Amino acid sequence: MKRSIKNIIVIWVLAAMLLSAAGCAGQQAAPAGTKLQGTITVSGAWALYPMMTRWAEEFQKLYPDVKFDVSAGGAGKGMADALGGAVDIGMVSREITADEEAKGAYWVAVTKDAVLPIVNAKNPVLQDLTARGFSKDTFIGIYITGEITTWGQVVGKPEITDEIHVYTRSDAAGAPETWAKYLDKKQEDLLGVGVFGDPGLLEAVIKDPLGIGFNNLGYAYDNTSGKPVAGAFVLPIDNNANGQADPEELLETKTEAMEMVAQGKYPSPPARAENLVTNGKPTGLVQAFIEWVLTEGQAFVGEAGYVKLTQDQLDASLKKIR
Amino acid sequence: MTTDLRASSGTTRTTEPSLPRRRAKDWLAGKTFSAIALLPIVIGIAILIALVLRTRPILEIKPLWNLLTGHTWKPLQGEFGFYPFIAGTVWVTTVSIILAVPPCLLTAIYLAEYARPGVRTVTKPLIDLLAAIPSVVYGVWGVVVIVPWVEDSISPFLGKWLGGVIPLFATDNPTGYSVLAGGLVLAVMVAPFIIAVTYEVMHTVPEGMREASLAVGATRWQTIKYAVLPRALPGIIAGVVLGSSRALGETMAVLMVVGNVAKVPTSIFDPAYPLPALIANNYGEMLSIPLYDAALLGAALILLVIVLVFNIVSTLVLRHFIGRPEE
Repeated sequence: MKRSIKNIIVIWVLAAMLLSAAGCAGQQAAPAGTKLQGTITVSGAWALYPMMTRWAEEFQKLYPDVKFDVSAGGAGKGMADALGGAVDIGMVSREITADEEAKGAYWVAVTKDAVLPIVNAKNPVLQDLTARGFSKDTFIGIYITGEITTWGQVVGKPEITDEIHVYTRSDAAGAPETWAKYLDKKQEDLLGVGVFGDPGLLEAVIKDPLGIGFNNLGYAYDNTSGKPVAGAFVLPIDNNANGQADPEELLETKTEAMEMVAQGKYPSPPARAENLVTNGKPTGLVQAFIEWVLTEGQAFVGEAGYVKLTQDQLDASLKKIR
Repeated sequence: MTTDLRASSGTTRTTEPSLPRRRAKDWLAGKTFSAIALLPIVIGIAILIALVLRTRPILEIKPLWNLLTGHTWKPLQGEFGFYPFIAGTVWVTTVSIILAVPPCLLTAIYLAEYARPGVRTVTKPLIDLLAAIPSVVYGVWGVVVIVPWVEDSISPFLGKWLGGVIPLFATDNPTGYSVLAGGLVLAVMVAPFIIAVTYEVMHTVPEGMREASLAVGATRWQTIKYAVLPRALPGIIAGVVLGSSRALGETMAVLMVVGNVAKVPTSIFDPAYPLPALIANNYGEMLSIPLYDAALLGAALILLVIVLVFNIVSTLVLRHFIGRPEE
């Protein structure tokens, strides 16, 4: 519970910051040359907000004349602000739609995150789940078609009739959208009771022994111990569909999970790229900043709890921005 | 009035401005105040117009009637059925009012008629304090206390004994996130409003009416029933209307406990998805997608119209009921 209250407080503080940042957008063009100065305004996804503030802080150490104005408010807000010219950079934690591209959205992937399926640690068939893993078809049966309704069906033991309590996110966000994409659908197609926010969904599953949900990597694990949050269990995804959870499919610690996502062994989606969006190809100061993010800025990705892109992906992003 | 008299008496002519100037001032003050008083109405109309304009893109594609009666909400596939959300709003509000009104009336009657002044001075501010608690705190309380309570106690109990007979209590929702959880949280949230208005209205009933009733030998309860309540009834109804309006628009607390499933509920244990929750859940993420944006503003427009119609109808009913405009 402490966690939810803390998160709510954080949300309110961020909202306050957002409000205070709201009227002052706009940027002075950076003069050519080595000395960067001006203001970079950023808004958008909650998922990228902590990372962006870290980058802004570090960039300012190098270029004290550059000021940042970072606010969060959802991927859609970041997109709308960037396209409407209210901010220089929008943070978008989902794929960019064709509509948005047509309106001039120009994006680069800067880091990675992953959505992990979770169940309650007291799940009646936890042993079997740990041994067998969860195939994509099983998830589809639970989240899309609704054909799988008991935990017994999941592990092939019809005598177990405990119902599956399906939870999803009520708020539109990158995580549920990515989860739905993994199941070849949209967020609006996901079944289950909608709970608000990452912490809310986690709380619902922790309190319900028959519950199943999904969380961003950063929320699924306890930061100090590196283990899944007390009461939750991260489901192994049986990616190669061999009917058992292989060692690399079992994500028992945060480090393991981050490694698997970084190496691309965890399927993508539900792993996803986090994007920075500008209105048209960026120039001047904004371009310099995004370039820095993709090079030296990557050093801070791991410690902020995000997953680095592979070198190939970084190169592709760099090529796009230069 | 007094200044007029003094001015005409001539003693203060040197300090008071001349009559035309005072008249001009008076005229200016009257106009300024009326302009300021009209401002809320202008703002209300401006909001309505803005919402209508922003909703137009979706109205051009789908007829209004289809939007209002459609059962499927899949905006990214072009399905914009608002009916489950309208139904969700009505369900949650109705349940909360049914739960809130009886205890609120009894509390107000007790405070206004029975309670000793000492009890009243302690209890009344505490009840008012309930109105000051932020809705997100109610939401957290709902998730921690109400949802598990509904899931573990109320739903299994009522479902077992009444579910088979009365569909209102039957459900296949195994969780506590439900219409009832939303209604319970809302009932506590609107209680201070209903209690405060009812209490104040009963206070305005002249003491003479009570004395007359008591003098002919009526008991306290008879006095309340035959003398005080009939007189206070329009005000009490106004209080319930105020509470309902608040319940219709409450967002955060409801959204955290109500389950947010876009299906028309058939039981109080089903999840529901009220209009304010729809807007709050999606607006930040989807405002960059044109039709989705229009649909969400359409939801806001529908909510606004529901609240307006509800208020206008209740005012008219109230006027008809008492045969004259409310004082």
